[in-house]
Amino acid sequence: MDWIEEKRSPNIAALLRATDREMLFQVMRQSQVQGEDLKLVFNAIDAAIYRELKAIADYISFLRSEIGELQANEMRAKRIPAAGEELHAVVSATEAAGNAIMASAEAVMSADAANFEQYKTFVEEQMMAIFEACSFQDLTGQRITKVVHTLEQIETRVARFAVATNANDKSGFANEEEAAKAERADALLLHGPALEGEGIVQNEVDAILDSPKLGAGSEASEGGPNGGSSSQNDIDKLFA
Amino acid sequence: MSADVAMPILVVDDYKTMIRIIRNLLKQLGFEDVDEAADGTEALSKMRERKYGLVISDWNMEPMTGYELLKEVRSDTTLARTPFIMVTAESKTENVIAAKKAGVNNYIVKPFNAQTLKSKIDAVFLV
Repeated sequence: MDWIEEKRSPNIAALLRATDREMLFQVMRQSQVQGEDLKLVFNAIDAAIYRELKAIADYISFLRSEIGELQANEMRAKRIPAAGEELHAVVSATEAAGNAIMASAEAVMSADAANFEQYKTFVEEQMMAIFEACSFQDLTGQRITKVVHTLEQIETRVARFAVATNANDKSGFANEEEAAKAERADALLLHGPALEGEGIVQNEVDAILDSPKLGAGSEASEGGPNGGSSSQNDIDKLFA
Repeated sequence: MSADVAMPILVVDDYKTMIRIIRNLLKQLGFEDVDEAADGTEALSKMRERKYGLVISDWNMEPMTGYELLKEVRSDTTLARTPFIMVTAESKTENVIAAKKAGVNNYIVKPFNAQTLKSKIDAVFLV
């Protein structure tokens, strides 16, 4: 038993000293067989774990590649701010054009028409100013086209990422600010302008306001007359 | 009874252009005394300083919407009887119903024309 170091394994050495030698050899042979079996098992486990880890590593690498394809930093730093600037420019140009057109219209409406020739010249000048102001549509159209192009790029990248990663959407909102805005819009019925064909038109609004039933029990009659009548059919059409 | 053209009118909208359009349309209808406010809060403040014969308000404004303004006005005993017309791009049925339940006198969907504005003002003051 010199192969068992007394100092390193005193308990095993003591056990071996007290054990029948034949029995010991049997145990050792059995242990050798079991050790080889265990080695096979551990090798198999190693291979499975290796495959799992390699699959995880490959997926992480794939995700990194897909995230890179999103070009999120470029979108955040360049494309989205640029689109925002374009839209601000559209708002400004539209407002400036609207003001210019209204200024001309106001000038014409308040012009002195006593002298026909002078009045005619003045009106023609103001009409030309209105034509010039209307040219804003060309520039704003081009700006909006750029914004649409940016949105299409973002849509393409996000769609590709969602498909590639088989993403499942979480419910709820991305942050508290987004949630608060949605809650306010919901509470105060802030839908914004409807697309053509989606909202109701003035006649339908009038039908609702003329409905005697909708205002019953509310403060609707407060503040002034709002009479008139409308058939229930008109109201029903609104909810069809 | 028709609307008194001398009455002061408060136009509430966060877009100067729209205020200018409404002001011009009102001028064509004979209403010269027109004040303006950029949102519900400013409007409420002005209404507490001056008695208006009519309020024409947009819906979607920050920080106080036209809908909130309408409810504030109707809950204030000194302002509650002020005629109130909503002029807005909010064209969902639920908006109109909510406005009516809150006590709006008339509701105009943008875009609108002078004839619509005139007919709604007439309707408010028609007994």
